[in-house]
Amino acid sequence: MRRGSWFAALATLAAVVALAFLVVPVIAVFANVGPWRLLDALDEESAREALWLSLRTTLLALAIVIGVGTPAAYLLASREFRGRALVLTAIELPLVMPPAVAGIALLAAFGPRGIFGPAISGAGIELVFQTAGVVVALVFVSAPFFLRQAIASFAAIDGRLLEAARTLGAGPFRAFATVALPSARTGLASGLALAWGRALGEFGATLLFAGSLQGVTQTAPLAIFADFSRPAGFVSALALSAVLILVSAALLLGVKLLGGERALEGAPRP
Amino acid sequence: MTRRALFGFAALVTVLLAGCGGGGGSGGSLIVFGASSLEEAMSEYAESFRGADVRTSFAGSDQLAAQIRQGGAPDVFASADTEYPAQLYKAGLVEKPKVFAANELVIAVPTGSQISSLADLAKPGIKLVIGDPSVPVGAYTRTVLARLPGAERRAILANVRSEEPEVSSVVAKLEQDAADAGFVYVTDAKAAGSSVRTVAIAPRLQPDVAYAAAVVKGAGDPALARRFLDGLIHGEGAADLRRAGFLPPP
Amino acid sequence: MSPALEAHASTPLRGFSLEVGLTVRPGETLALVGPSGAGKTSLLRVVAGLMAPRSGRVALGEETWLDTERSIDLPAERRRCGLVFQEYALFPRMSVWRNVAYGVDRPHGQRRAAAVEMLERFDVSGLADSRPVSLSGGERQRVALARALAAQPRVLLLDEPLAALDAATRRGALRELRSVLGELGVPAILVTHSFEEAALLAERLAIVDRGAIVQAGSPAEVSARPRSPFVADFAGAVVLRGEATSEPGELTLVRLEGGGEVRSVDSASGPVAVSVFPWEILLEPPGGSPRDSVLNRVDGEVASVTTIGNRARIGVSVPQPLSTEVTAHSAAAMGLRPGKRVTAAWKASATRLIPLG
Repeated sequence: MRRGSWFAALATLAAVVALAFLVVPVIAVFANVGPWRLLDALDEESAREALWLSLRTTLLALAIVIGVGTPAAYLLASREFRGRALVLTAIELPLVMPPAVAGIALLAAFGPRGIFGPAISGAGIELVFQTAGVVVALVFVSAPFFLRQAIASFAAIDGRLLEAARTLGAGPFRAFATVALPSARTGLASGLALAWGRALGEFGATLLFAGSLQGVTQTAPLAIFADFSRPAGFVSALALSAVLILVSAALLLGVKLLGGERALEGAPRP
Repeated sequence: MTRRALFGFAALVTVLLAGCGGGGGSGGSLIVFGASSLEEAMSEYAESFRGADVRTSFAGSDQLAAQIRQGGAPDVFASADTEYPAQLYKAGLVEKPKVFAANELVIAVPTGSQISSLADLAKPGIKLVIGDPSVPVGAYTRTVLARLPGAERRAILANVRSEEPEVSSVVAKLEQDAADAGFVYVTDAKAAGSSVRTVAIAPRLQPDVAYAAAVVKGAGDPALARRFLDGLIHGEGAADLRRAGFLPPP
Repeated sequence: MSPALEAHASTPLRGFSLEVGLTVRPGETLALVGPSGAGKTSLLRVVAGLMAPRSGRVALGEETWLDTERSIDLPAERRRCGLVFQEYALFPRMSVWRNVAYGVDRPHGQRRAAAVEMLERFDVSGLADSRPVSLSGGERQRVALARALAAQPRVLLLDEPLAALDAATRRGALRELRSVLGELGVPAILVTHSFEEAALLAERLAIVDRGAIVQAGSPAEVSARPRSPFVADFAGAVVLRGEATSEPGELTLVRLEGGGEVRSVDSASGPVAVSVFPWEILLEPPGGSPRDSVLNRVDGEVASVTTIGNRARIGVSVPQPLSTEVTAHSAAAMGLRPGKRVTAAWKASATRLIPLG
């Protein structure tokens, strides 16, 4: 037996197993019951409201994440300062935090008995049981995904490009907008995709922090959970899951296409 | 070199397969699914149960029933109602259920709350948390509300801010001061101690809260499972339930 | 009349301290020559405003850009120094014309036209819509230069502008750069590790070693009168100007400005620079017997004798200045002193021609 060939076979087997394991459950969602039953289930008001709520809240959350996160990531990527490593670790913490823990943390900070609870209600803002609370939970869990990618993308930019821009008269903002952003585009797009996917699937923190009420706080994942427990609700859960899978896949594809490199115009000449 | 690799691979596979247990407990161990309101009492019972290592899992009874329907295989299922065990029995998934306890629905409010009656819940601006329709506590709550005059019922329902998947979440929201009131079992209120106060519900509005449990078919040791179940009615389990505030079976 | 640039900087670098001061007049090109790591690029960055020295002062005429004592530090974008980076730093996601138009201050509709006009000067207007990634090295260098000039810089800074080019492209680029620098009306600083390039492109040069200027002056002066062995080793090229005529199958004949004829194995025609290394030049007593035609001979007069250790740099006026190196012993033996007539001789194969004009 040729040296190495057993390894190649083993590695191939591992790849096939891994792929199958990841793909089969996804396919099963669609294949478990017929497509017509799935479509029927989507007709239910609770399903539609859940999907619409998920869309609204994730869009708003992502807008906040990108709006605040992009300049923040740029600063963190381009400046050296004491404690930078610590700051970066702190930003990544929600990534490894179990969602339920995130929910508890949000309650401890912004809940009625939280540290900032009195300040928030004093300002007339209500988070718990409100859609706003859902958005807060989504921002908390999805921001680190975007920030980590954005920081890495900005840090990978050749500093000399930014210096060139400055010698040509561009102030820090113009250099950021016309040179840094386009260069980091691919990384930012993939960060956006990851963050969006995470936000769409967010469950634990939302449930603990904002509660679950149809049309107000019951996002698609929460609706799926409720459907599962409902007698004869499994089909509805499948239907919602199918929609979420399709939406996530479309998002991933769309964002990758937008952010990806366009085909190189002309090959480099010798 | 090749043979060693094969050996290692085989060993790995063996270990992995051994880790995949069969359904349910086997020889001296039990898996018990219990409604979340049973958590304290059932955990006590499970710990002191002689002759077996009992592992428990608590969640809304509806979720547990759904898991059993999907093929999940505990040895015992203890629900906060009689409906879910009956459905599972009809579907041939469990043995004949036995009622083992009763409970009472109350209104829980944070201590220091001004709410003192069911009618207070109809006031505008009250933040009310109840269970979702498919979890027993949520169904019982709706039974109570259905017995009220239409206007009062509608006003109270309009104040609902969240439908939680299990009663322990309702309690949690109250303890967090996030809600003004919630419908829970009297046993939950007792367990929550001084952080909540209760407002009684009039007996004529009170639903019949009966807890039923059943041995799940396919259990590794049905005799052991039945002994555990019986203990809920006659033995240590019953004592633990009583201590937690559960009423004897009707 | 545009103002002169003055720069002084003192700042720690890796392993040594940068301590330099220089002045560049408008239209003048000063070359900073030295080995890599000597601090030349750091000085450029200080002038451009990309690096703040621990202490220093940079001023263009009356305008103070940097004065650490008075806490003045004008940001780079306000100084408008054109900086051509060693690797060009073209914006990869922008087309060539957008790169060039980046620093152009014109209304939106006119920017492309202005960019194309500048690209035409460098003969690359056809690449206006291409992306930098599809350009050859020489094309990128021209675009980088066009971009810097299009922004109408008050000072032009060039960091090893020809280093990234292959030998063939470099010759043409050298000629272009010469013409650009010649027409420029603002001070220019050129950083290079090649004395020959510096001699060809700059009127004055400064030899930089480990953060300090060890000698400054015209290329001929520094070559003829090196102050130290380091400078002597570094100032390693003689550059003469002349007019070349190519004879097919024969060596190229170059008539030197001011008199003298040499031949080269390189082919060129028209105005050229002739480059030889000082240690390849022999000195003979005047009127020696003519030998084979592969040896170039030019008559001249000794202008200076500089002894460095056991070597001697002899500056000879032919009448263009050239320098040669002999042992101190030979210099004494030949009785070399200013005014003595000598003949400088070197091989045609050691004669490099660089087309100019």
